[in-house]
Amino acid sequence: MSEETKIPIGKLLRADSRQFVAGCRVKELETPALGALCKVKMEDGSDIFGLITNIQINDDGLVKQLVSGLSIPSEYTADNRYNRNLPVEIYVLAVGFQRAGRLYHRLPPRPPLSLDALYLCDDAELVRFTNSGGYGYFRHILRLEDQPVEELLVAHLAQARAAHELQGNRDWYGGACQELITLLRDDYPRLMNVLNALAELE
Amino acid sequence: MIELNKQTFELNKPIGYVVGGGLEANLQVRLTVPPQEVQEGAFVVIDSGTWRFYGLVTDLQLGSTDPRFADEQSELRLPAGLAGLLHGQTLFTNLNVMPVLMIDRGPEPGSLGYEAWRQEHPEDAAPVTVKTVPSHHAPVRLADADDIAQIFGEEDNHNIFCVGHTREQGHPVCLNLEKLVQRSSGIFGTTGSGKSFLARMILAGLIHAGHTATLIFDMHNEYGPDSISSDTSQAVPGLKGKFGSRVRLVGLGAKTDFGKLPADFTLEIAQSDITSEDILLLSEELNLNETAATVLSALERDLGDQWFSEFADMRNGAMEQNEDGKSVPAPDSVAFWANQAGVNAKSAEALRSKLDRVMRKDYLVRSTATRGLQEVIDSLENGIHVILSFGNYGNDLDYLLVTNLLTRKIRDRWKKLTEDSYKDKGKQPRPLVVVVEEAHKLLNRGMASQTIFSTIAREMRKYYVTLLIIDQRPSQIYDEVMSQLGTRISGSLGDEDDINAVLSGLPGRSALRGMLAKLQPKEEVLMLGWGVPMPIPIRSRRYDARFWQQVLGSQEQPKTIAEINRSLGFEADDTD
Repeated sequence: MSEETKIPIGKLLRADSRQFVAGCRVKELETPALGALCKVKMEDGSDIFGLITNIQINDDGLVKQLVSGLSIPSEYTADNRYNRNLPVEIYVLAVGFQRAGRLYHRLPPRPPLSLDALYLCDDAELVRFTNSGGYGYFRHILRLEDQPVEELLVAHLAQARAAHELQGNRDWYGGACQELITLLRDDYPRLMNVLNALAELE
Repeated sequence: MIELNKQTFELNKPIGYVVGGGLEANLQVRLTVPPQEVQEGAFVVIDSGTWRFYGLVTDLQLGSTDPRFADEQSELRLPAGLAGLLHGQTLFTNLNVMPVLMIDRGPEPGSLGYEAWRQEHPEDAAPVTVKTVPSHHAPVRLADADDIAQIFGEEDNHNIFCVGHTREQGHPVCLNLEKLVQRSSGIFGTTGSGKSFLARMILAGLIHAGHTATLIFDMHNEYGPDSISSDTSQAVPGLKGKFGSRVRLVGLGAKTDFGKLPADFTLEIAQSDITSEDILLLSEELNLNETAATVLSALERDLGDQWFSEFADMRNGAMEQNEDGKSVPAPDSVAFWANQAGVNAKSAEALRSKLDRVMRKDYLVRSTATRGLQEVIDSLENGIHVILSFGNYGNDLDYLLVTNLLTRKIRDRWKKLTEDSYKDKGKQPRPLVVVVEEAHKLLNRGMASQTIFSTIAREMRKYYVTLLIIDQRPSQIYDEVMSQLGTRISGSLGDEDDINAVLSGLPGRSALRGMLAKLQPKEEVLMLGWGVPMPIPIRSRRYDARFWQQVLGSQEQPKTIAEINRSLGFEADDTD
């Protein structure tokens, strides 16, 4: 069993074919990051891969009471954060799956089930997934609406680029940028937003 | 960029792929290399399925998927890497490629179907005019030396003659001289565009190949003897010096001077050689009226071959008193003859006075010491090339009279030779090329009807006589003659009318117009027309010592007396 499967970051709250939401405790929140690749291991041995598109911390009654209080002792703050009743919600966009050792950049045939564990992928798995079958999974990201797609792309490309460059592959990032330009060349405002965001990585 | 160029050419990599277009509107090719690596006029090859297409780049256009990508200076706003990626994707260059020829290559050699296809097509397929288009995304590459040799032939120092090299890669581009002389052709270009050098080179090729005879009407005495280039002050070898006895220098009249070279013979024309037809062709120049034809035919009928000299001897307006004291035409007067011959005396007198200009020409002699005219024709028949210099006789009347007379004789001779060869199934006559310099003087709209050249251009192909016109104002040349020109080779032309004239009657005119206007003077020429498989702009070969060495080989060059003396140990000065 590889190392990454030992880092569960949460358990699934709800899911559909396109995205799923996992809940995690605040102390588990140190590892997942926006744009990170994660996966759910299914009982039939397949894996569903997704990108973290949003991390949401909801309030509850106690937080509201504490916030309206004049001063909050630090042990109250710590207690509320670490022992809160509501989990932190991690939104994951499904971008592909693996079955019988083969990777696909298609939506999984079935969504994962509630309480399935969500794991963070390590660099090797990130490289393997992003290297397989071109950049087909970009379409899932570009299809997102009401979300900061550019930011998500930059966050993901930064992580993937670092992972690829660690393995000596400097071409992957250029290819990814080229692919984004091809996909967005008829949409000037969006492409310029993406490129401006990517400019920060240089 | 030079390094880049080298890489693209050496590896023969695709420079782009087909993205659209058609036969009528030309093909659109998306360029995948920097635009500076391809020039207008580049010869490109497109492989699609079993077909290979050959085309010519007629334009390069900058484009963008959205005008805002072009307006925004992305290089300033984005890191260089990202800005660079925009080029080729959102910002691109499209080539406009005019497809001209295609060839069926069959399946790949070694593949399953190849053997069967080869049995059906035992001979290598020849390129045909393009009738279909390559598929989308068919790769496009610049033609290599093999492609160019496949279309234009490979130099054999005989029939296939290298006239220049492609502009980007410098591959040799050849002209099939045998095909060139099958129809009339033209070499055009403004003064200083290098057309005289090009003409010299092509003539050298023709003379060296040896299957044709050429008659060069040399108005400025520049083809035969060696001369000095007005631009570079370098010595320019003439054809006589290089080809020796294979070229004869002929001077009109006794006074023509070829500098250091002696004339092989001088051309004097016997008056008995002049026919009424020759004079009628000069109608416009001599301002002859309608009655002239009647008088001329009466002169020939009445006086026979010697009509011209006898008519010249008659006195115009001479009168004498008869026995009755009346004033009557003298027996040696024009009017006397007219009355005898039954033609109008006034018309005859008018013709006589108008012919005065012709009769005063001192190269027209009563009887010639040599058989000048016949010798010219005999030389040509035997494959000896003739350069006729007009020397001091430089007006329109001289050009018209002599060229007409000589070409008429040639036409009659070649017609007879051809007909004889049909009858006896004998050898066909040697193809003859009549080279006319400053052709607009003889072939302009006004003159063309007076000369025999329009007939040659139109009809004499059947009798193996064609024209090679050299001129700087093609628009001045009669349309009917221009339309007959098979091969046209043009240097840079500035005037819109001249450009249109060179392109008249050819497909793809609009695409070629820009190319013709942008040729580099002295260096580049555009070859087009029937005699070349497809139009192509080339960097023309240099007319220098290397050219002569390549054409003649070092051993074949006849030595000048000075060179022989030097090789024997005498200094050039000692020979004086």
